[in-house]
Amino acid sequence: MLSDLRYRLRSLFQRHAMESEMDEELRAHLDRQVEKGMQAGLTREEARRRARIEFGGHEQLKEECRDARGVSLIETLVQDIRYGLRILARTPVITSVAILSLALGIGANTAIFSLIDSLMLRMLPVQHPEQLVQLQIRNPQRANGQPFGTFTNPLWETLRDHQDVFSAMLAWESTPFDLAQGGAVQPANGMFVNGDYFRALGVQPAAGRLLTLTDDHRGCAGAAVISYGFWQQRFGGAPGAIGNVISLDDHSYQVIGVSQPGFYGTEVGVKYDVAIPICAAAQFDGTQSRLDQRSWWWLSVIGRIKPEINPAQLKARLEVLSPQVFSAVVPANWDAKGQENFRKRTLLTVPAATGTTYLRREFGQPLNILMGVVGLVLLIACANIASLMLARAAARHKEIALRKALGASRPRLIRQLLTECMLLSLAGALLGVFFARWGEALLVRFISTGNDPVVFLDLSLDWRILGFTAGLAVATGLLFGMLPAFRSTRVSLTSAMKGSQSGESERRVKFRPGKWIVASQVALSLVLLVASGLFLRSLVKLVTMDIGFDRSNVLLVSANLHTAKVAAAEQPAMFDDVESRLRSLPGVISASRSILTPVSNRMWNNEIKVDTPNPPSGDNALVNFNFISPSYFETMRTPLLAGRGFNEEDTKTSTQVAIVNESVGKRFFPGVNPIGKFFRVDPEPGKPAVPIQIVGLVKDAKYDSLREESSVTAYFPITQVPEHAEAQTFELRTAIPPSELMTPVQEAAASVDKNIPLEFATLAQQVDDSLVQERLLATLSTFFGALALLLAMIGLYGALSYLVTQRQVEFGIRLALGAPRRSILRLVARDVVAVLAAGLILGVCLSLATVGVLQKLLFGLAARDTVTLLVSVSVLTGVALLAAYLPARRAMRVDPMVALRYE
Amino acid sequence: MAKRIDLPQGTLDLLILRTLALEPQHGWAISERIQQISSEVLLIQQGSLYPALHRLERRGWVKAKWGTSDNNRRAKYYELTKTGRKQLEVEKDSWNKLAAAVAQVLDESA
Repeated sequence: MLSDLRYRLRSLFQRHAMESEMDEELRAHLDRQVEKGMQAGLTREEARRRARIEFGGHEQLKEECRDARGVSLIETLVQDIRYGLRILARTPVITSVAILSLALGIGANTAIFSLIDSLMLRMLPVQHPEQLVQLQIRNPQRANGQPFGTFTNPLWETLRDHQDVFSAMLAWESTPFDLAQGGAVQPANGMFVNGDYFRALGVQPAAGRLLTLTDDHRGCAGAAVISYGFWQQRFGGAPGAIGNVISLDDHSYQVIGVSQPGFYGTEVGVKYDVAIPICAAAQFDGTQSRLDQRSWWWLSVIGRIKPEINPAQLKARLEVLSPQVFSAVVPANWDAKGQENFRKRTLLTVPAATGTTYLRREFGQPLNILMGVVGLVLLIACANIASLMLARAAARHKEIALRKALGASRPRLIRQLLTECMLLSLAGALLGVFFARWGEALLVRFISTGNDPVVFLDLSLDWRILGFTAGLAVATGLLFGMLPAFRSTRVSLTSAMKGSQSGESERRVKFRPGKWIVASQVALSLVLLVASGLFLRSLVKLVTMDIGFDRSNVLLVSANLHTAKVAAAEQPAMFDDVESRLRSLPGVISASRSILTPVSNRMWNNEIKVDTPNPPSGDNALVNFNFISPSYFETMRTPLLAGRGFNEEDTKTSTQVAIVNESVGKRFFPGVNPIGKFFRVDPEPGKPAVPIQIVGLVKDAKYDSLREESSVTAYFPITQVPEHAEAQTFELRTAIPPSELMTPVQEAAASVDKNIPLEFATLAQQVDDSLVQERLLATLSTFFGALALLLAMIGLYGALSYLVTQRQVEFGIRLALGAPRRSILRLVARDVVAVLAAGLILGVCLSLATVGVLQKLLFGLAARDTVTLLVSVSVLTGVALLAAYLPARRAMRVDPMVALRYE
Repeated sequence: MAKRIDLPQGTLDLLILRTLALEPQHGWAISERIQQISSEVLLIQQGSLYPALHRLERRGWVKAKWGTSDNNRRAKYYELTKTGRKQLEVEKDSWNKLAAAVAQVLDESA
């Protein structure tokens, strides 16, 4: 091994010495052989001739010796790279097109992959992340059986104190805080964390100290740990930051320390700024602290499994533990059946080494699909370059023949050609990484739309991404390099030496792989077109469907009177006051207010009970709630179908009433007019369930999402809202662009109370934002579909141009012999049609076989949608004919004289 | 002259090693020696001798140094190393086994 290395090194660095030694050695051998021949009585010339024949080619022998020496690997690589660069520089246009399309392909793949990496694959930067599991709760009642991951504080505390399978546990909730004390909101990403949070993760302080168990107890004063990024950004990384007091929603906390750089919290997609202990949550809640609420589900919980516990033991222990834990924290206000079911809930675990995030559920599948899409784009780009290389290889026919004649072996030539391809793909990859960085930022911004706080993903390059990109570069280089390299080195020396390329038949044969490449490009682009067509049509269906309200020209103004420090008793009157002032603003057609607005990512639902035979139960009895002022339906333009709307006489103390939508009517009162009927809602503990009378019926309107199948909703007068309703949203239907009303609205609100914080949005924007996933898929798949189409057409154009150039002489002769120009066109067209037909058939089969995976992401159409397929096929055919037109025209216009002169 | 036999694949290394086991030699002498000893039966493709020598040198089984030959000419002498000597035993052994096995099969069928 060592001698091997020494030998290789010597031959690498003392190359000249070794070369001359080798020369001398071989010459000496030859001399001796000649002498031997002369001694046997031959003439010097004859002896020399025989010795040479016996010896074989001098240069070839030297090359073989070099190979045996093993150096040549590095040595020839350097040679090949130099030569390859020269060759590539000789055709700058082709080289740039190749590098650019590769860079787009590799860049897109790297961008999507690094998103997948940071969202789904990257381990949390904590100690032994593989030991972490997130705890979830399975509710045996829920039909779909999807476990959920939020805990009440009593449940968390009981679990923490009774479990024996975790060496440490952590619980947290991400929540936004306002750092400002009055005035404009300064948002910060906050976390409530348990005292053991940082120790359990093994996170170290960068300054000061982190929270400990002693910081987290009932009645605590609270203390704040800030993230490294927040420390840098807000305090400039000054050590003096420790001991400072920061204000979170008007509660003051002392900063006690900074967590280590690179730690962003346990929730992927959110970068935490400041963490305070769970016990401090009590300060935000007033009398009914969430610390003791048994049906306030807010904490996420992660446990670190003890090394000696195996998965089976963990599962078994949790099964034993579950009834004990749940029985200890049954919500007192639930009915007997609900309590019994509560005790039957069970704990389970899912791996949490990569952290937790809702983004995975929302974007995991779309990202995987996009990964497939960009993979196809890269394949198409590879195919393009492969046909470019084939065409170029044909042009280098003579060069390759010459080199072969001079003794270059075929593997050696293949290596040379592959080196060129590798250079191309590496250049593409380098450029692609730049594209990727830019694309990733764009993607994250896309995903962030409608998300508050903005999504943060740690996209720093790690070994996985670099490995992925490097692997991609090598794979693509081999992919588009193999075929041309093998084909073009299979030259027959004699035909090449004759100067011109030989007969017609050989030319046709050479085009065949080109044809297949183009056909497969057509097929792959068709798949992409179909996918993007499906996503586009889904999006259009979602955007244009009847959603039960009119989203255009509605300004949404959210106001929080709690933050404005208005006493709870005065809040309703103040909201009324603001609403009437807003209504009288010029440009406002109508104004209303409500607790929730449609498609706002927030919901309020409850089971309702009716006294009909066989009433719906369980999930079927769940109804969405909203509390609205009388003019809500007028402002939203949701038609009232029967009964009455709310009015001034529906007050806090009057009969409890409700307006329901058609779905509620159909589900709870099938075949009966619901107006005048009563229903009841689970009451607060200790209060009787008051019957609520239905006084009106409205058309269905989307509540939580445009994709929801049923929108069973009951509306109640905002005066009869059972809990504190300090945050309400005004809806203003405007006659002018909504944004122009922002200043007048602010002035009107300030005339009531200067401290009311206001947030603005438009209903149209809010609805749009709920379609991020769909829009992401539609936009990106269309972009990549178009890119694929463009690449495929460049491929078709290139292959056809090549064909026409090759057959120019033939066309010339045909024309000279009197063939009509149209017959030349027919010759070319026959090739185009054959390639196109093969590609389309293959593409249709591929599409039908693969689009099934998209079904879940589509809306209102089947994956095997005939219209989409037909449109995609026609678009592709149209564009392909366009791409074929130019070379075909050139073929028709071949000048017989010019063409013949070539021969 | 008896009909010459081309060397079976892989036996050239063994023959070179064996030849060098006697004394250090230069390339031409090695080929001459093999032909002589084998009574001119084994023909060494001169072209394959040198790549083989370079290969052996890389593996560390032989080492080369420049010396002066019989008629006062500079020549590159190859010499067996310690590992080369071991390798020779290994190759000899496996060759003998092969030859014996082949002979056995041939006898059997005869």
